Formats: sequence, structure tokens, C-alpha cells
Amino acid sequence: METTQAFSSEFYTALLPELMLFAGLLALIIIPNLGKGTFRIPGTQIRLPWFMGGERYALTSNPHLPAWIATITLTGAFLAVGDSLRGGIDSLLVMSSDADEAKELLMINGFSRVFELIFFGALALASFASMNRLKVEGIGAKLDVEKLYNNRRQADFYILMLTCGLGMSVVALAQDLFVLFIGLELASFSTYVLVAFLKETKAGAEAGMKYFIVGSVASGVGLYGLSMLYLWAGSLQFDVLAATFATSGTEPLPLIGIGFVLVGFGFKVSAAPFHFAAPDAYAGASSPVAGVLATASKAMGMVGLIRMLLIVAAPESSEGSAVWLVCLGALAALTMTWGNLAALGSTNPKRMLAYSSVAHAGYMLAGLTAVGAWTWDPSFAGQEGEAALMVLTALLFHMVVLVAFKLGAFLVLSILESDGDASRLSSLGGLAKREPLLAFGMFIFMISLAGVPPMAGFLSKLMVIMGIVNVGVGTGAESLSDFHWVWWLALLMVLNSAVSVFYYLRVAVVMFFDAPEEGREGPLPSGWQVRTSIFACVLVTILVGIFGDSILEMCRSAAESLTTNW
Amino acid sequence: MQLVGFPVVAGIVLLAFVANAKKSAHEKLNNPIRMASFAFSLGLFAYTTAMFFDAFADITTSGLAFNDYKFQDSYEWFPALGIHWTVGLDALSFPMVWLTTFLLPVTIIATWHEKNGATYFPTLLLMGGALIGVFVSLDLFMFYVFWELTLIPMFFLILNWGGKDRKYASQKFFIYTFTASVVMLLGLVTLYLMQPEQIGAGGKYGTMTGRTFDIPTLVEHATAANQNGWFLGESMQKVLFVMLMLGFLVKLPAVPFHTWLPDAHVQAPTGGSMLLAGVMLKMGAYGMFRLPLSMFPHALQHFQLALMIFGMVSLVWGAIVCLGQTNLKKMVAYSSVSHMGVILIGIATMQPMGWAAALFMMFAHGIISPMLFAVCGAFKHHYHSMEIGAMRGMAKHSPWLATSMMFAWMASLGLPLLAGFVAELMMFIALWYFIDLQGWSVLWMVGPALVLALTAAYYLWSMQRTIFEGGDETQPPASLNGDVVPDITNEEKMAMLILAAFTILFGVMPWIGLDMMDDYCRTFFEHMISNGIFKGGA
Repeated sequence: METTQAFSSEFYTALLPELMLFAGLLALIIIPNLGKGTFRIPGTQIRLPWFMGGERYALTSNPHLPAWIATITLTGAFLAVGDSLRGGIDSLLVMSSDADEAKELLMINGFSRVFELIFFGALALASFASMNRLKVEGIGAKLDVEKLYNNRRQADFYILMLTCGLGMSVVALAQDLFVLFIGLELASFSTYVLVAFLKETKAGAEAGMKYFIVGSVASGVGLYGLSMLYLWAGSLQFDVLAATFATSGTEPLPLIGIGFVLVGFGFKVSAAPFHFAAPDAYAGASSPVAGVLATASKAMGMVGLIRMLLIVAAPESSEGSAVWLVCLGALAALTMTWGNLAALGSTNPKRMLAYSSVAHAGYMLAGLTAVGAWTWDPSFAGQEGEAALMVLTALLFHMVVLVAFKLGAFLVLSILESDGDASRLSSLGGLAKREPLLAFGMFIFMISLAGVPPMAGFLSKLMVIMGIVNVGVGTGAESLSDFHWVWWLALLMVLNSAVSVFYYLRVAVVMFFDAPEEGREGPLPSGWQVRTSIFACVLVTILVGIFGDSILEMCRSAAESLTTNW
Repeated sequence: MQLVGFPVVAGIVLLAFVANAKKSAHEKLNNPIRMASFAFSLGLFAYTTAMFFDAFADITTSGLAFNDYKFQDSYEWFPALGIHWTVGLDALSFPMVWLTTFLLPVTIIATWHEKNGATYFPTLLLMGGALIGVFVSLDLFMFYVFWELTLIPMFFLILNWGGKDRKYASQKFFIYTFTASVVMLLGLVTLYLMQPEQIGAGGKYGTMTGRTFDIPTLVEHATAANQNGWFLGESMQKVLFVMLMLGFLVKLPAVPFHTWLPDAHVQAPTGGSMLLAGVMLKMGAYGMFRLPLSMFPHALQHFQLALMIFGMVSLVWGAIVCLGQTNLKKMVAYSSVSHMGVILIGIATMQPMGWAAALFMMFAHGIISPMLFAVCGAFKHHYHSMEIGAMRGMAKHSPWLATSMMFAWMASLGLPLLAGFVAELMMFIALWYFIDLQGWSVLWMVGPALVLALTAAYYLWSMQRTIFEGGDETQPPASLNGDVVPDITNEEKMAMLILAAFTILFGVMPWIGLDMMDDYCRTFFEHMISNGIFKGGA
């Protein structure tokens, strides 16, 4: 592992994607303001061209411009991350200085890169699709003020998208709980505003308010937990925390502290019982934003959980029966069951998807439990964490492919929203007749969420189940009673998948069978950007399911890079 | 392998073609798409028939050991997990593949005038491709993928072309079988992970997991381990056996897991029913032979009695329920349940002949039941009703339909010289052997014997009420609203004739298919006995 200091040249090359985001932010702030403004030198009549303000150019006042800037920036960052992942990257640790007592700040390795890939990919798709989602008024209108207003508003939205991405990537990179917390808050505040962005609608305002209140309470609790950890260890760095935990991890203080921190992250991944705000937030937010919440924001919460539980607390769990493991297992079981049962009863497709995302959080938590439990069988010890590696790979893979089909499903709803409404199941009625290709795409997303082969969702679910079972059976088990109890989580997971098929299929049935709602016949509003995004999602969902080996290898090396320091 | 790829690709290409065309042009597309699908399925049929003469016609003389496959082919798919695209055919899978390719063109002929043909026929092709995929795959992952994949075209066949309650039926069908198969999936995954690990072995073994999904390799492992004890340990083998069997029993279906079948059948369109009864139910039995029976023989011995009871109950219960049906299609559906009981009994006898009977039953029922459903479909199509007794004196109004119905009914109740008889006779002989061998009471024969009578009863009774009773021109069905009573169309006649011809062919010359099945069962039991897993003398 190489180390470097903040603001060294290596630091800049390694953080290229984040710097791109930063540049994009600046561009978003500056470019839409460019105009024919001039600057008069005081005391003279000389006016120098100043380019800021005044009557704006046609290009810079184009309401679509901010969206393009954001999309290009995010796509660029995505490609930069992808490029650095292709050759398999070395770990780079960024220290606060080159002194001996320097603190670890950021770690750039395969693990954080994969998460950046998830964040930027999801955000790029969402901002590209939002181009058709946010109403663009005033094109061709005489009133420049209105145009300006509209343009500004567009810029606000995409600035938030970028800050969200920036915060998320800080979370993925952080090696220090405090740095992590800053990133988390940056991303969280952006999402609070994004959720409330449709403030003209009651649902939007209410969703934003609820999400903000619950979210800030969760953050507050998490912060309280952090302070307890600091009180106990005297530092918030992962390596210090881990070392201290290994020696005195059974004290009540760190356990309580970790518990509080888990609440904070549990809210982000929308684990039951911290999920109550999620359905409201998803339903009130515009669909692409809801898609971001369900994919990128959730992955961000998972980073936090993985870091906390595996880096800090894993060494303690050597006997496989640590307290937090049991808690996490129970949480996983509760989350997946609650999510699925609630989804069965919801008739609003967005709420349904929200609950389905709660259920998926449960599956991921089950995987995480298995990672924590991998040391239960002493014979695993010789394998250098092979069993845990498999689950971690599965989790990463699941989060990567989830972007394609979860976000894709939200984008289809987004088109329906532009058509009028997507808050009832019947809004999807007759979609197969109105837009056969969209209905086909939605069907692919649904069966992928349900885990039907050969979609990517099947492969990822299979991987997670396989990982859990692998840990569960251990070596040399002769009967069910020889298994570790995480095996039963796998059983619960397949049963839950079976339940979930019902509500996913219901969508398909409504699309292909029911008549459209009154006055909603005919094709949906056009918008090639959102359609392109959906098409990309369909493509990824199918292709990764069939030829996903390289993605799997990528996740594998990412998981390895996390576990090398175990 | 071409067998899977071609129908799937052809189906997708045709569907994409249709999707691109304008709505108004769909009507015009029906005919070309139908012809293309038909020509394609005929080609496929010719191809598998050629395979038969190439490799399977002389199988008893050329010989094919247990766990040995023809046309075997393997490509890497997910090397990290040890997943390969492995295909191959043996006497177990080949008859099923042939049956699928045989039924595809016949189904297309029988449902020649189905509405929205432009999307219907490609969907049938997709269905066929997925079904063939199940039968040819020799990789657990690939097997499961195709196993689930068959649900999707069938779901749409029921949903788009089904009867009045199609919404309910298609969802019930999907959820029911999906639930069973995810439990099976957990079983498969557990089996996969409990096999001996070969870290860094490469090849068939996953680079990441050191394990393989390859069925021949797993069977090899299992046989080696079963020789001295239980593969994977006693209690684990039992658990896995139960988990896998659960998936297969629901698909088969055996009582009490059969409730999805009547709903699915009644609501499915004729073509869907033909493929569903003809091939899809056989997936359950096929899966049993391919996985649990080959890998867990000890558990099979342990659960022999349970299987026998499942079989008996399905056989008797299905037949009794048939008696009470007023809906023609429902009756035929329950008769399928009853016939699937025969397969289970055949397996549970653990006699080579019983197994051969089960295999031949799969095959014979695969030809006869599509004919039953074709008759039901024609009935519905022309009389707009499915009620027994809606049409009286059909022999006079619609002689073709009446004749086909009579033939199909007779074939299904096991008339000698027709395909179904051979299987039932063998099953009875094997059961008799088995009872004798175990020293059980002769009373065990009562159930199956009773069913013979019951089957005859429900078939003959329904025929009497439909074909013969009443008559003249006096009682045309009310559902026709006074229109002229029609007979079946030429295409339907054609399909009936083909199905009837093959029913007779395999009834008179069963050895065409039976030889290889018999060979399979013989080699299997020889293999098990020579490896000391089963005791000899059976």
C-alpha cells in the first residue's frame, strides 16, 4: 500500500473523479451566469467586458444547459473511475501530513472505487433522465426574467446532484469517522433538498419535511454515537478504533456507541425499523431522485455499515457470536420481512418500490451478517477470509447491478409522472398498449428485482444467498444443526423472494392486462434522454445477468482490497 | 448448442420485428410470422429426428453408460463460480427434447387461428427454446436459469391469450411454482457449497469458489461418496433431497401441491395448455431423475415409502376429483395429476421396469395430453363453452371433433395398442414386483386398480354426456345462440391426425423410445448395484 499526503501530486491524480465533480460544480455556478455584463472602471467611462450577468447569451440561458453540464461531469467522473478500475488499482492511503503521527484521511482502493462507480453511475443516469422531468418553461417566452428563473432553478437542482455525489464519494473514501460524517452530511443535506425540490406539490413538501426531520434525528443519534466512540478511544480513525476495539471491545461504551452509529446508517439503508420516512420520501420526490435514494444513497449507507462493522468490530467477533452479529441478523430478518409484507399492501408503485428497497436492504444486511460471522468455523481461518470475501463480493455486486434495475424502474415511473401521475397502480394500466417497449423494460426491471433468471437481479441474489450459505455450512457439516444460524437467514431470504414475486408480478399484470386510466390513452410524452437512460438500464440488467463475469471479477478484487488489511 | 439458441433467437427476432412494426400492420403480419415460426419449428423437429437416427436409435447396441452423454459440449460462462454452458443428451433428456420439438409445430397447427398471431407464435417458440434448455443443460446453474425462464413465456401465454380469470391464474401459476423453485434453489446452492472444495483446480471448478455446478462431475462425486456412506452425510442428504423434491413435486404436480394446475390449465390458451401438459409438467419428473435420484440414492431409499404414498394419493385423488368435474378442461387437468401419480409410483418402486414405466409415461403423456387439450381447445373454440353437456349429441353435429375426442379419451384411459397403455402396464408389473419383493399386502394394488376403473368411468361418462346422449339437431348448445353447429377446422383436424398417428405409433412400436429408456434405467441400476449403493437382486 502506498501512502501520500493531502494535496500532493498523487493525491490529485487519484482524486481525479472528485476534482472533476468540483470543476463541474464551479462550471454549474459560473456558466449559466455568463452574459454581456460589463464592468465600469470607477471614475472613468471605460467599460470593460466582464462576462458576468447582464443580458445572457443564448447558450448560457438555455434551461437545459445545467442538466448537460451535470450529466457530462458525472459521466466523466464515472468513466474516470471505470478507467482506473480496469487495470486493477493499487491502494493509496492519503495521510494528513508526512510526519510520523500523521492521521489517515482517505483510502483510494478498489473498494472505494466500486462505490464511486455506483454513485456516479446512478447520479449520471438520474440527472440525464431529469432533463425531461423538471419542467422547462419559458423557452421562446419573451420574458427573460422567467427564463432566468427557470434556468436558475435548473442549476440549483443539478448543483445539488453534484454535491450529493461529492459527499457520497467522501463517505466511500474516508478512513476517519469524522471525515465520513462530513461526507455523509453533505450528501444527506443535498438529498433532503432534492426530495423537497417539487415544493409546489403538497407531497413534495411533506416528503422533504419528513425526510429531513427523521434524517436529522438519525444523524444526531449517529453523531452522539461518534462522540461516545471518541470518548472511549480518543480518536475516530478506523485503524485506531479497530486496534482499541480488539483489546477492549467488550466494554459497554463502545458497544453503545456503535449501536448509535448503526442507527444513523440504518436510516440511510432504510433498514426496519428506521425506514418509516423512506416510503413517504420516495413517493413525494420526483422519480429520478427517488431512484437515487434507493440506489446510491443506500449504497452510501452500506459503506458506513461495512466500515463500522467489519473494520472496527470484526476482529472482536472471532467466536462468531458477538452481540452485534445477533442484532444485525435480527435486523436483517425484520427488515426483509417487513419490507416485503408492506410492499404487498401498497398500491402506490413508488411506495411499493420503496418497500421493495427496504426488503433489498434486508437481503444486504443478511449478507453483512454472514460476513461478520465468517470466523465461526475454525477451519475457515486457514482460507484467509475466503468465505467472507465471497459474501462481500456478492454485496458489492448486488449494489452495482441494483443501480440498473431499481433506478430503471423509477425512471419508467418518471415518464408516467410527466404524463400526469404515477401514484396509483392503475397509472401503469395499459402501458403495454401505450408504449410496448417501456412496458417491456419495466417488466424486465420487475422480474430482475424479483430475482428471476437470467436477469442481473437473479445473479446478484444468487450470489448473496450463495455467500450466506457458504458461511453457514462451514466445512464438514453433517446436518442442519451443524450449520451456523446465518443459513436460516438464507432460507428466510428465498422465502421472502417468493413473497415479493407477487407484488412485482402485479405490476406486470396491470401493465399488460388492465386498461389505461380515463383520458390517458395514447403514447406517453416523449423525451429521448430519459428513454435513453431506461434503455441503458435494460441493457445492463440483461447483459450483466448473462455475461456478468467481468463485473463479478471487479467486485471480487474490490472486496479483496478491503480485506487485505484484516 | 443450436437446439436452445435457435428457437430463442428466432422468437426474439420475430418479436422484435413485430414490436417495430406499426400497430395497424400487426394484422397483416400474422400470416408471415406464423409461417416463419412454423417452418422454423419443423426444421427443429427434423433436426432432432435426425439426431435420433444418428445417435439414439441403436442405443441398446451402441450402449450409453450412466452419467455418459452424447453431443456433449461445454463453454465457460462464469468461470469465477464454476458455471459453464454445458449441454448434452442422454436417454433421459433426449425423448423430452424430441417431444418438445415435436409438439411445437403441432401446437402451431392446432392453434393456427389464434388471435394476435404475430406475437403468439414467437412466444411459443421462446417457450420451446426455454423448455429445451431445461432438458439439455448439464449445469446446475444453467438448469435453474432455464427452469425459471420457462415461467416467463408461459406467464404471458396465459395472461395474453387466456380465459376469463387469466389474471388470477397466471399469477397463481407463477408464484406457486416460483416459491417451490426458490426453495429448490437454496437446496442447489447448499449442494453446490457442500461439495468437496477444489481450490485453484480451475477447469470445471470456479476460480473464486473452488466448486462446480457441473452435473456430471457432481454425480461422479456423489457416486464415489455414496459407496461408503452417504454423500454429504446422512441428515444433509435427506434435507437436500426434500428441498429439491419439493421443487419438482410442485412442478409435477403431486397432490397436495397440485392446486395451481387446474387454474392454469383452464385459463391457459389451447397452445399454452398443450405445452404445459405436454412438456412443462415433465420438467418436474425429469428434474427428479436428473438430480436427486442420481445423486441421493440413499435418501431415495429412505423416502421410498413417502414417494409411494405421494404417488398413490395423486393417482387416486386426481381420478376421484375428475369424476366431479363439470368443466371439460378441468377434468383433463386433474387427469394429468392422476397420470403424474403413475410416474411417482414408478419411481418409488425402485425397479428398472418401474423407472422405465415412469420415463415412458412422461413421453406417452406428452403426446396424449396435448391431444386432450387440443380437443378441449377445439371444443371451446367452436362451442364457446367448456361445460360437459353444453353440447349433446356431438357425434352427429361434429363427427371429426367427436372422433378425436373419443380417440384422445381412449388413449388417455389406457387402451391397449395406444402409447399410454404401455406405460401403465409396465407400472403395474413393476408395482407388483415391488409389493412382492417387500412382502407387502396385496391391498396396495387396490388403489391403482380402482383408478383404472375410475379413469374409465370419468372418461366414458363425459363422453356419453358430450358425444352420444341427446342428439339430432334438437339440442345445439345455448352458447352458440342459434348459429349453425360447426365442425373443427382443417388445421385442427390435421393436428389431431398427427397426434393420433404418433399415439398409435408409440403404442404399437413402443420400443422406438422405450429401448433407450430401458437402457438408461438398466445402466443406472447396474451402476448403483456394482458400486454397492443398492443391494442387488431387485
